[in-house]
This record gives sequence, structure tokens and C-alpha cells, in this order.
Amino acid sequence: MIQRIRGWLEIRIGLDELIRSQLTEYRVPKNINLFYTLGIVAFVAFLVQSLTGVLLLFYYIPDDKDAFQSVQLIMNHVPYGWLFRLMHVVGSNLMVAVVFLHMISVFFLGSYKKPRELTWVVGALMLLTTMGFCLSGYLLPWSQLSFWATTVVTNIPTAFPFFGEVVCKILRGSEQVSGATLNRFFALHVALLPALLIALFALHVFLVRRIGISAPPFGREEDEDWKEFRHEDHPDGLPFYPHFVSKEAFMVVLYFIIMFAIIALAPALFLPPDTRIPADPFTTPEHIRPEWYFLAPYEMLKLIPNRFMGIAAQLILVTVFILWPFIDSSEKANILKKPRLLATFLVTLVIWIGLTIWGAY
Amino acid sequence: MTSILGLSAAGAFAYPLFRFLLPIESGIKAKKLIIAKSDIPVNTTKDLMIGPSPGIIISTKDKGFLAFSKVCTHLGCLVKFDKDRQLFICPCHAGVFDLEGNVVSGPPPQPLQKFAVKVEGDNIVIG
Repeated sequence: MIQRIRGWLEIRIGLDELIRSQLTEYRVPKNINLFYTLGIVAFVAFLVQSLTGVLLLFYYIPDDKDAFQSVQLIMNHVPYGWLFRLMHVVGSNLMVAVVFLHMISVFFLGSYKKPRELTWVVGALMLLTTMGFCLSGYLLPWSQLSFWATTVVTNIPTAFPFFGEVVCKILRGSEQVSGATLNRFFALHVALLPALLIALFALHVFLVRRIGISAPPFGREEDEDWKEFRHEDHPDGLPFYPHFVSKEAFMVVLYFIIMFAIIALAPALFLPPDTRIPADPFTTPEHIRPEWYFLAPYEMLKLIPNRFMGIAAQLILVTVFILWPFIDSSEKANILKKPRLLATFLVTLVIWIGLTIWGAY
Repeated sequence: MTSILGLSAAGAFAYPLFRFLLPIESGIKAKKLIIAKSDIPVNTTKDLMIGPSPGIIISTKDKGFLAFSKVCTHLGCLVKFDKDRQLFICPCHAGVFDLEGNVVSGPPPQPLQKFAVKVEGDNIVIG
């Protein structure tokens, strides 16, 4: 039966040649490491979010009067509803962590260097889209935390004169966060952002495959200058399948182990008490804090006394992050040979972690 | 020519899209609000909606009745009134305002919005 299906596909799409050129004879660098698998782990994380998200849609009601109750129904009454919701909640945090790690490793390995600047930019936009998923999804349970976190975030554009108020109103669909905001964020979360992320993902994979996988810069001569387009081959490398696929499978399994360990051992890790109280537009809870990945910018907003400066500084940092390959235009990919860049990278990382810890306490 | 037609078509849709995305007017305006003086004895506060946003009225011994919007001018969280310290404190980014609504510390860029309060007989008129 399988042979017959193979034969059928062989005639129509040239299956054997496709498997040869894309898997068994597609070579990856010999010294490729586990960090190179984080892209596929992020993709698997997105698939998990999509599948669990669709399941949650069967019971979730996107209306300010019913949203909180429908989430409680999923958690307490729908058989295994708690499992799929926790997979979605824990999965969203893990997805952000994986995408962060992916970007950090790409930075450290210098894989954003010429000719891969566009691949970095698209990856950075994917990280921002992932954050957009987190922000829009955060409001949907209509809890105290989601309501007030959204109030703070949608107020951010008002720091800018002229267009700030209009952007805030467009985001909210009303003067204050309300049912109209919930409708808009729901549409963003389940329709616009998935389409955007899939499009960016397709472009990202196209660029990776078109240019070729970069080799780790350590222990090899510096890259030659790229004067014209060519695919980077690794004729002395290892086959994508089974060598690299087995590494990817290992990391995907590790991803699921971490996810289910959190669900089993610390189910409330990403659900603080304020997520279990329905939204109250008349009371801001004490000690409101965003998710861990927004703690550093949250703390920055506290520390910089001027609101406009605080938000503008963050926008500048995001712009620098997206356009980094054009700012660091040196040919050297090995960060260990660039002590100033290495120091900047480490100091930025330490400041980020420090602000995150500070924001948490 | 194709580019001009394309840009014109895109431009023709831009304004309807912009208007579509802007919120529909709720019709709730900050009208005058009248409440009985007896509802707010001295040294007490009352939370109430002033127009479309949450507000607070405070009855003080020295300054009479004071009314403010509770919306923090930093990022929109609702301030809480600390009776002992006679300060408004924002729980989100630790903005602090005094009894006049002026910024004492923290990142808020402006004072709290203050509403005019008039005492007319046994009533207080806000706004």
C-alpha cells in the first residue's frame, strides 16, 4: 500500500528526487550544534499553540460578559479542558523562550552576517509577532491581570504627540479597555497574527534554504567576501536526514518534556492569582506585573522618569535589534574575535536579566 | 499608469479603513454630576464614574470637596487614595500624586485630571 502511494507520488511530484535533494543528500555543516535546531523547535511550538488554540475556541466565548466564565468552564468542567488550556498557556511562554534563545544563538554564532541580513530581519519580525500573540492572547481570559496589562500596553502610544491618542483608540476600539477591545484582540489573535506569522515563517524558511545553512564560525577561517549570490554548500558536511533531523527530534522531545513537567509540577507558574479574578474596570490590582518576557521593559518604564523618553528608548532598542546586521557590518562572524561586541552582548544580556529579576520583586 | 491607478485605489480605501477602525462614539460625555453632600462625610471618599472614566470625590476638612479622574496619566492604571498619607498612588509604576493631583514622584508626565466642584445647597455638582 505504502509502495503504491510512493509510486503514485513519484510520478506526480518526483518524490525520490525530492527526498534526495532536500533530505538525504542535503548537507549541513559538520560542526553544527543543537542551537541550530531552535528554529524547528519554535515551529513545533507554534503548531502546538495553533492546535490547542483551535481546541480552546470550541468553548471560549469572545465577549466581555462571558469570556472569563467560559475560561473557567474550560478549566473546571470541560473534560481535559485544563490540559489543553495549560498546554496553550505554558506553550506560549516556552515559545517566547525558544524564539529568544534562537535569536541569541544566531547573534552569538554570527549567522546574521552577510548574506543573511534579511533572514535576521524576518526572524526579528517573527519574534515581534510572537510577542503580539502574547499581548493579544493575554486579554482573552478577561481576568484582572489581562485587563490591566492591556490597559497599560494600549496606553503606551499616547506618549507620542499627534497620532498617539488615535492609535490608542484604534487598538482599544473605545475610550477605555472594553468588550470592543476584546473583540479586536480576539480577531488579531486568531486571524491576523497567525496569517502574518505563517507568511513570515515561509519567507524565513525560503531564505534559509535559498542561501544555505551557515556554519558555526568557531575554529575555521573567516568567510570570504560575498560579491554575488550563491548557495552556501557544505560538500564535506553531514546529511540533513538522519543526522540533523535526529538532533531536531531530540530537541522537540526535550521541549515537550519541559512543557509537561511544568504542567505536572507547577501548573500555576504562569497563572498568578490575578488571572483567577474576573476583570474589574474600577480597581487596578496591587503589584501588577506583566509576564516575565515583558518585565525588563516594564522596569525600564519605572526607572526612566520621563514617559516619552522611556517609551522612545524602548522603540529605539527594538529598531536597533531588528536592523542589527546593518549596524554591525564587519565581515568577521566569530564574536570571540571581537571583544567589544562580545562585551556589549554580555552587558546587554546581564542588564536584561537584571531588569527582569528587579521587575519580578 | 498602473502604479498610479493602484495607489489611487489603495488611497481610496485608506480613509474608510481608518474610520472603520476608530471607535464608534459612545455618546457618554462628561456631564455635570450631582450627588448629595450627606453621601460623603468629611474625611471619606467616594468612587464614581465621571463621564466615561472612573473618578473619585474626596471630602476634606480644609479644602472641602475635591474631584479627580482616577486614571493615572502615565499608562492608564487607576490610582488609589491613601487616606493616611493623603496621597494618590498608582499601583502599576509607583506614580504618586498629592491632594491637588500634582505629581509628587514617579513617571507620570502630568497631574491627575481635576474636576470643578461646586456646593449648591445640600448637593455637590461635579464638572
